[in-house]
Amino acid sequence: MDFNLSDESKMLKSNAEKFMKEKSPGSFVKNTLKEEKGFSGALWKEMADLGWLGLIHAEPYGGSGGDFFDLFVLFEEMGKAVFPSPFFCSAVFAGLLINEAGDERVKKACLPGIIEGKKILTVGLQNDQGFYDYQKPALEARAVGKDSFRVRGTCLLVPYAHVAEEILVCARVMKGSRSSGSTLFKTRAKGPGIQLTPLNTITGEKYFAVTFNDYPASAEDVLGSPGKGAAYVEKVMPKLIALKCGEIVGGLSKVVDMTVDYVKQRAQFGKPLGVLQVVQHYCADMTTLSDTARMIAYQAASLISAGLPCAKEVAMAKAWCSDAYKRATQIAHQLHGGIGFTEEHDLHLYYKHAKALEMEFGDSWVQRQKVAEEMGI
Amino acid sequence: MRFWFTEEQEKFRREVHDFLQAELKAGTFVAKSGGLAEGSSQEFSKKMAQRGWIGMTWPKQYGGQGRTYVDKVILNEEIFKVQAPVAYHFLADRQIGPSIIHFGSEWQKEYFLPRFVRAEENMKFCLLFSEPNAGSDLVNVATSATKDGDSYIIRGQKVWTSGGHQSEYGWLLARTCFDPKVPRHESCSQFILDLRLPGVTVRPIINMAGRHTFNEVFFDDVRVEKRFMVGPENEAFKQIMAQMDYERSGVERILQNYPIYQKLMEYVKKINKKKVGEAFYSWVRDSMAQLETEFQIGRLLVYYTAWTIDQGRKPSKEAALAKAYCNQYEQRLNDLATRVLGPSSLLREGTPWAAFDGELAECYLWSPSYTLQGGSVEVLKNIVAQRGLNLPRK
Repeated sequence: MDFNLSDESKMLKSNAEKFMKEKSPGSFVKNTLKEEKGFSGALWKEMADLGWLGLIHAEPYGGSGGDFFDLFVLFEEMGKAVFPSPFFCSAVFAGLLINEAGDERVKKACLPGIIEGKKILTVGLQNDQGFYDYQKPALEARAVGKDSFRVRGTCLLVPYAHVAEEILVCARVMKGSRSSGSTLFKTRAKGPGIQLTPLNTITGEKYFAVTFNDYPASAEDVLGSPGKGAAYVEKVMPKLIALKCGEIVGGLSKVVDMTVDYVKQRAQFGKPLGVLQVVQHYCADMTTLSDTARMIAYQAASLISAGLPCAKEVAMAKAWCSDAYKRATQIAHQLHGGIGFTEEHDLHLYYKHAKALEMEFGDSWVQRQKVAEEMGI
Repeated sequence: MRFWFTEEQEKFRREVHDFLQAELKAGTFVAKSGGLAEGSSQEFSKKMAQRGWIGMTWPKQYGGQGRTYVDKVILNEEIFKVQAPVAYHFLADRQIGPSIIHFGSEWQKEYFLPRFVRAEENMKFCLLFSEPNAGSDLVNVATSATKDGDSYIIRGQKVWTSGGHQSEYGWLLARTCFDPKVPRHESCSQFILDLRLPGVTVRPIINMAGRHTFNEVFFDDVRVEKRFMVGPENEAFKQIMAQMDYERSGVERILQNYPIYQKLMEYVKKINKKKVGEAFYSWVRDSMAQLETEFQIGRLLVYYTAWTIDQGRKPSKEAALAKAYCNQYEQRLNDLATRVLGPSSLLREGTPWAAFDGELAECYLWSPSYTLQGGSVEVLKNIVAQRGLNLPRK
C-alpha cells in the first residue's frame, strides 16, 4: 500500500489544476456552454500542445505512451472545473477504440490528428432511449452487394457531433435476415444520409441525436473484425469508467471545498453557519463521501494502470462514486440555500454534472449487478 | 499509488494466517464474533508475544520491532477475521504501550513495556475514562486525584469499563486541579492504576445482549504513588488527543462481526433462486454488492489511516472519519444479514434453528454499541469538521 502519487502524476496534476483554475473558472464554463461550439478552441489547442490528448497513446502516432494513472488525474482536474471539451469522446473513447480495433492504416489516418487536436472524433453507442446497446445494437447496417452497407437508425447523446469529422458506432450487420452481431463502424459526421439534431440537455454540453437514413458505408468503414464490436468496447470500458470516476472525484472534492468555504463565511443568527453542529455534520458527511470516492476510484485506476485484474474494483468505484457525487451535491444545495439555486452561482454546474455522470456507463444499480457477478452471486 | 501489498507483506500475512489456522484446528478458540469483547487469554497472547506480534510498531529499545502501522493492520486483519482471543494484550498493544512510550517516565517504560511485549501475567489493562456525567463530554470527569505527600488519593466512579473485571490495571483519567478558574481540559491527569489496591470495587453491568463485558468501577480513597502518574500533572487531554487517534485507527472497527459477513456471503451463494423468488433474490444480490463495496471502502480507509501514521502524520481526521464510517457499516451488515436470513435470525444461541447458531441475533444486539464506543459517530463527525475542515467551534 502506497497512497502517494508518483512525482510525474503530482506534477501533471498540479499543472492541470493551475491551468483549469486560471483559464476555466465557472463563469468561463457557463459562457462556453452557451456558444454554438460548446468548447474553447484556444484551450483545446493549448491542451493538445501540452501533450494531454496523446498522453496514453503510443509514440509512433504522436502520443507519449504515458501511464494511465496520469490520464486519470488529468480527468480529476477537468472534473473539478467541470471543463467542457471533446477530450473524452475524441482522444479517449474514439482514440482507444481505434487503437483496439483499427488496423495500421486506420490508426495512422486517425490517431495523429486526434492527438494534435486537429481532428475530432466522437462515439455513438446509445440507442434512441439513451441506453448503451453496443452488445445488441438497434442500429442496422444492411449489406448491399459485396462491399457496401446502408446504415439505418438513431443514436442518442452523441457528444460534439457537430464538430466531429467522424463517428464510431456499433451496428448490426444484416445479410438478408441473418444478423452477424455488433460491428464497429466509422462513419462521417455529416453528409448524405446523416442528420444531426441538437439535444438540449441539463448540463448544456453539446449533445446530438445522430440519425442514419440509409447512410452508405463501405467495407473499409468497418473497424476490426465484423461481429466483434461489443468486444472492442468491453475491452476499453474499464478505462472509460475509471476516467469518469476521476471526473467525479474532482467535481466532488470541489463541491466540498465550495461548501465548506461558504459555511465559514455565511453568517446567520450572528455567527457563521459552520458553527452549527448540524451544518458541521453535513460537512463531515460530504468529506466522507469525497474521501471514500477518491479511495475506491484511485484503487480502480491504479489497478488498471498496473494491468492487474480490476472488473470488480471498477464496478465498485462507479457504483460508489455515482451515488456519492449526487448525494454531496444535494447536501451542498441544502447548505448553500437560495444562492446555490441561482444561475449566477457555480453550484448547479456540479449538480447537473453529477446526474449526467451517474447516467454515464450505468448508474450504481447497473454497476452493482457487475459487482455481484464478480462476487459469484 | 499502489493498492496492493509488497511480497514481504504478503508473506507476513500468510505467516499470521497459517498460525491462526493451526490454532483454530487445535481448538484453541472458535471463529465467532465478539472475540475482542470476550476472548481474553494470556496463554494465547503469549503465543503471539513469542512471534513478536505484540508491540510490533514500537521502537526496538522498548522491545518492539519498529515495524510499520500497515504491517500491524495486516496482522490485526488476519486476527479479527477469525476473532482470535487477543483481548488480554490488545489494549496495551493498541494504546497503553504507545501512550507510555510518548508520555511515560523512564520507570514506567522499563517496567511495563517489556512485560506487555512478553504478555506477562497480571498485565491486562482497561480504560477508566467514562463516568456517569462524562461520556461524550469527557472533560467533565469528576473523579478526583488529590495530592497527599508522594501519593494521590483517588475518589469517584467510572463506568462502561470494558474488561474491568478481568484486568489488573486501569488507565485512569482523573481531576487533579480544582481551581474553577482553570479550564476543565487543563485540570486532569492520567494515572496507571493497580485495580488490586484497597478501595477499588468493580461491579458488573449486564448489557442488552445479556453479556457481562463492561463494569462500573468505584474508587474509595485509593492511594496511588506519584510514580504511577503519566507525564506532567494536568496534561491528560493533550495526551488523550494523541492517544485517541491510535485507538480509532484500527482495523478491528470494521471486523468486529466479520464472521457474520463471511457466513452471509457463503449463505447467499447457496440461495436457491427459484425457491426464494426472483424479486427477493434480486434485492439480495443488489444489497450484497452494496455491502461488499462498503466493506472494501472501509478496509481502504483503515489502511489509509495506518499509512498516514507511517508517513509521520497525525491521523486525527483520517482516523475519526474511518471509525465513523466503519461503525455504521457494521450496523448495516448485521441488519442486512437478519433480513436476508429472515425470522430465524431472531433465535438466540442454543436454540435449534437459530440463524448462524445464534451468532447473528447476538451481533444484532451488540450493534447499537458500535456507533458509541471509542467516541460516538457524532463526536467523530465533530472532529472531522473541526480538525479536518477547520470549521469554527464558536
